[in-house]
Amino acid sequence: MPSTLEKIRILGENSKYDICASTASSRTDKYSKLFGDSNSWVGATARAGICHSYTPDGRCMSLFKTLYTNKCIYSCKYCFTRACKHKVSFTPEEYARTFMKLYSMNVVEGIFISSGVCVSADATTEEMLEAVRLLRFKYKFRGYVHFKCLPGVSQSLLREAISLSDRISVNTEASTKEYLAEIAEQKDFKNDIITRQRWLKQIRISHNEKALKVMKDLKQDKKLDFQEKKIKDRREDGYKKFRWDGAPILNSGQTTQFVVGAAESETDLDILKRIDWQYREIDLRRAYFSSFIPIEGTPLANKRAAPLSREHRLYQSDWLLRIYHYKLKDLKEVLTEEGNLPRGDPKIHFARHYFKKHGLVDPNRASYQELIRVPGIGPISAKRIINLRAQKVGFKRREDLKSIGVVLKRAEPYLIINGGNQTTLQNFFKTEDNKILQGGLQ
Amino acid sequence: MNKSEKCQDPLEVIGRAKGYSREELIMNLHRHAKFTPNLIQEIKKLPEVFLRNSGSPMSKKLIRMMREISLETYRAIQFTRTEINNRGVLFGVVLLKHRVLDLVLKYFHKRWPQCVICLYNEYTGKTGTINEKGTNREVKLPLKKVVEKISKNRPVIPYFEDIQFSGEQIFETLYKTQNIVERENPRYFKSMIPDYCYELPGMRNGVEKRYKSRNKKLNEFL
Repeated sequence: MPSTLEKIRILGENSKYDICASTASSRTDKYSKLFGDSNSWVGATARAGICHSYTPDGRCMSLFKTLYTNKCIYSCKYCFTRACKHKVSFTPEEYARTFMKLYSMNVVEGIFISSGVCVSADATTEEMLEAVRLLRFKYKFRGYVHFKCLPGVSQSLLREAISLSDRISVNTEASTKEYLAEIAEQKDFKNDIITRQRWLKQIRISHNEKALKVMKDLKQDKKLDFQEKKIKDRREDGYKKFRWDGAPILNSGQTTQFVVGAAESETDLDILKRIDWQYREIDLRRAYFSSFIPIEGTPLANKRAAPLSREHRLYQSDWLLRIYHYKLKDLKEVLTEEGNLPRGDPKIHFARHYFKKHGLVDPNRASYQELIRVPGIGPISAKRIINLRAQKVGFKRREDLKSIGVVLKRAEPYLIINGGNQTTLQNFFKTEDNKILQGGLQ
Repeated sequence: MNKSEKCQDPLEVIGRAKGYSREELIMNLHRHAKFTPNLIQEIKKLPEVFLRNSGSPMSKKLIRMMREISLETYRAIQFTRTEINNRGVLFGVVLLKHRVLDLVLKYFHKRWPQCVICLYNEYTGKTGTINEKGTNREVKLPLKKVVEKISKNRPVIPYFEDIQFSGEQIFETLYKTQNIVERENPRYFKSMIPDYCYELPGMRNGVEKRYKSRNKKLNEFL
């Protein structure tokens, strides 16, 4: 019988390729009594970004991230669990107690509970839920819980998982069913993944509507109307308007994860199309990307690892879609012929393309949409510029922009400030001198 | 910007302007180790625009002081390691130069509302406590004595008694499993960890030691 330490070593190692953000839930203040009314609660959800330690790969480690079991009926070609010879499982009590011990040391903020599929998805999920139930109701833990939904789990269990967790994720792994079949042939893309993601959305919406109705009946509060609006409002492109909608349950929404580079011919465009669809159709809060790393003992052990830069470009593009409100067609313009993102920041690539066509922008006249396309100007600086202009404050010097947070080093080539533009090498190419220079070089 | 426009209060204009408002400064600056009462008098005299403008030397200094306060609080929240005994007393050691012990205590109180929290500040040699009702106290006694004194009057609550390993062992095991060698990023890692935190559980005997030895202090050369 392996000891708890041995289990943590094996199951922690098995889960290291799973990605999760640090704790981020705005639930505590408004819905502190979500799991019952008691004075003896332990824990609280913290604002995002509280990390208690960092691993040498630079990633923040703020959650108790292990598998519940590494026994798995699936044999995905990229998966670490497949190569691991020691098969172990936690018991619900053991899992809950170990976590509480770590929480008392202030080394973790919450849990990230994932698992291999042992016997069936329902049987394993039932055990995982038992561990979370123990945490919530026996140890009275009201902090952050990220629950990993196993492929093919039943709706009733999913409903319970939603009511106990801050965030749920279903791993999409690949962008289409063909690519998924290439790396995990036993998984059914439509049924095991997409249907579960749709259920998550439906359950969340219906539960939150009911909860808000009850709260409204109990207490007439104008803030609740605003919150209802936040939950329902959508952007033009179909994305949710407010990412943090303050919903009573599943406050941190649902997320997903892709294994980048495991499927042979999967391009960045395929992945971007899929996440764009997921943002519109299933209210995905965000997507995570994990570069494929070959693992000894798996069928893909000899395949080349995907470059980490590819993962980074995908995160940058995802940011442009979600936060900067770029359209997918905008990003398509900068893709290479093969459908991959080029080297370098996608925003800079897009800016070069866009401003070449539309001309440079004057911060005293440009719209918010134009400003946000300038590298070095983010949503906050763009809003500041618009707000200042509304107060009839003009921008006549570079320092004016710098003082409100614009990164001039990046922004200057695309801006006209006081009628002038920064001189760059490109400016010389248009002049007569340049022709002489070129002639001279020849 | 035009001279006339400079008089406008960017707080009203921008909403999320840079810098801190006068109220925020008055509320928080007293926590700084180098705080003097004259500073508040000065702040009261200055216009808000001047305080908000990060270009002026005075406001630069004030912003830096405010950041030092919040950074120290944040670091203490992140890297303070605590223990809990079977009487419901949670205790740990902090190193706080500024007067932010109450903020750190409040953070732990929010997490463990039914426990008494005791934090010993190595810098001042005082132990701060916060009880279940949220009342703060600071005494000039070592941590051990304070914990013993508080524990005496409290009933025994078996917190995690049957876990056979120490918390440090559990965490170090978990910590070692999470590293992906292929993704190692020493520069980023080093920038995130304050020097004193290399001695914390999970941070010892790992690859991190390499980075620590790279940065030699002047004394080591003498």
